[in-house]
Amino acid sequence: MRRVITISLNGNAFQLEDDAHAVLASYLDDAGRALAANPDREEILADLEQAIADKCGRFLNPHKTVLSRRELEQIMAEMGPVDGAPAPAPAGPAAAAEPAAAGTAPRRLYQISEGAIVSGVCKGIAAYLGVDVTLVRVIFVALVFLTGGVAIFAYLVLMFVVPYAQTSEEHAAARGLPFNARALVERAKLQAAQFADGATWRRSRAEWRRSRAEWRAHWRQTRDEWRANWRAGAPPPSSPTAAPRAPYVAHVITGVILAVLGIVLAAFAIGWLAVLVSLVATGAVFGWVMPHHAPLWVALVVLLLAYPLIAWPIRAIRHGLYHDAATFHGPSLAAWDGVVGIALIAVLIWYGYHHVAALQDFIDHLARLWNQTLLT
Amino acid sequence: MSIDQKFSPIRKGLLEFLVLKIVSAATVYVPDILKRLATTEFATQEGTLYPLLSRLRREGLVDYEWQESEAGPPRKYYHLTRAGRGQLTELEDYWARINQTITKLGN
Repeated sequence: MRRVITISLNGNAFQLEDDAHAVLASYLDDAGRALAANPDREEILADLEQAIADKCGRFLNPHKTVLSRRELEQIMAEMGPVDGAPAPAPAGPAAAAEPAAAGTAPRRLYQISEGAIVSGVCKGIAAYLGVDVTLVRVIFVALVFLTGGVAIFAYLVLMFVVPYAQTSEEHAAARGLPFNARALVERAKLQAAQFADGATWRRSRAEWRRSRAEWRAHWRQTRDEWRANWRAGAPPPSSPTAAPRAPYVAHVITGVILAVLGIVLAAFAIGWLAVLVSLVATGAVFGWVMPHHAPLWVALVVLLLAYPLIAWPIRAIRHGLYHDAATFHGPSLAAWDGVVGIALIAVLIWYGYHHVAALQDFIDHLARLWNQTLLT
Repeated sequence: MSIDQKFSPIRKGLLEFLVLKIVSAATVYVPDILKRLATTEFATQEGTLYPLLSRLRREGLVDYEWQESEAGPPRKYYHLTRAGRGQLTELEDYWARINQTITKLGN
């Protein structure tokens, strides 16, 4: 599920995916700046908008009503950068300024979901290091075997903490490339040229994409269900255009806090369950026997009331952060949140079974009970 | 530096001349002009052409009128003004002189 932004281009309404909107906004911003001194600025901008609108129409039909980033980038490449000065600007200083800009462009680690196998961590690392993604994947798989699976956990952590590159600006930052309309257009042209080169490559790629799309669709369904549950009772998300994007560092911190709170919540839930089962099964909580005059049901009611009372504030904080996070972590956050939660619970139970005698007794006891009920 | 790059500023300077020539031949709208130029060395884009046309209009060399289209909103059709025609004649003369100079120099 992607957020869609409706815009008006010279009086024509179009729906764009939010990263496509960023491409368009950046182009028009650059155009507006280039034409700042032009007395016909408004008229030229209206002409440009109309030309973009005409080109957008080419990608739309009754079954496809939303424009993607790739399509917008193609359109922007066709439009070309807007000439600003009434007289042709001298080429010298502009040409000299560009390599300098390329050198100072910020480089940041993002997850890149386009062309990713799982979540795009490897892709993001490859973009960050400027190496081929296959190399990173091979190294990662080797690490998984060498570390006995710890690398998978590292991947899960990165998946959770590293924000997704969603806008073109972030995609540029992921690769350390300068972000402006001219650079964008140049890259889009280059990509188009490379793409046109390999027809066979394209066919095999199309097949690979199709299988991946099926896989993704399956994921998306799971995720949306999860999300619908999560969102139930949540305040409606703020309007997409109004929400400013928090800086990168804030994204990472939010991701970490979300993960930590998730662990706390999971640990608490497990502890609570253990107490509950222990109480029911043995009449005592890990060896602490209840006072004799207090009936069992009082303890149960107290326990049942205590859970939401303690869990609620943690949930509320996560909930709030989650809505912030959803705007940068991408729609798949919900699914991964679930996966990480389940994985954590599994790891904790496994660890507890092998290292905590009481828990081992309890699980064995539970297994016996289970077998008895099945047998009778 | 390729030949293409070396001539880039010259092509840029000549674009106005070529646009005036195209507009003088027929009443056209922007996609017509782009299409006409696309197959030449002077292939250009909206981002360049719209600001150029706007300047030519401000200088009184071209003008446009709105015409309804079968599909979509009305379009701006450009035509040459009297001043534009005068300018184009001067440009053509000047271009002929430059050509002569270039041809003569080598011999």
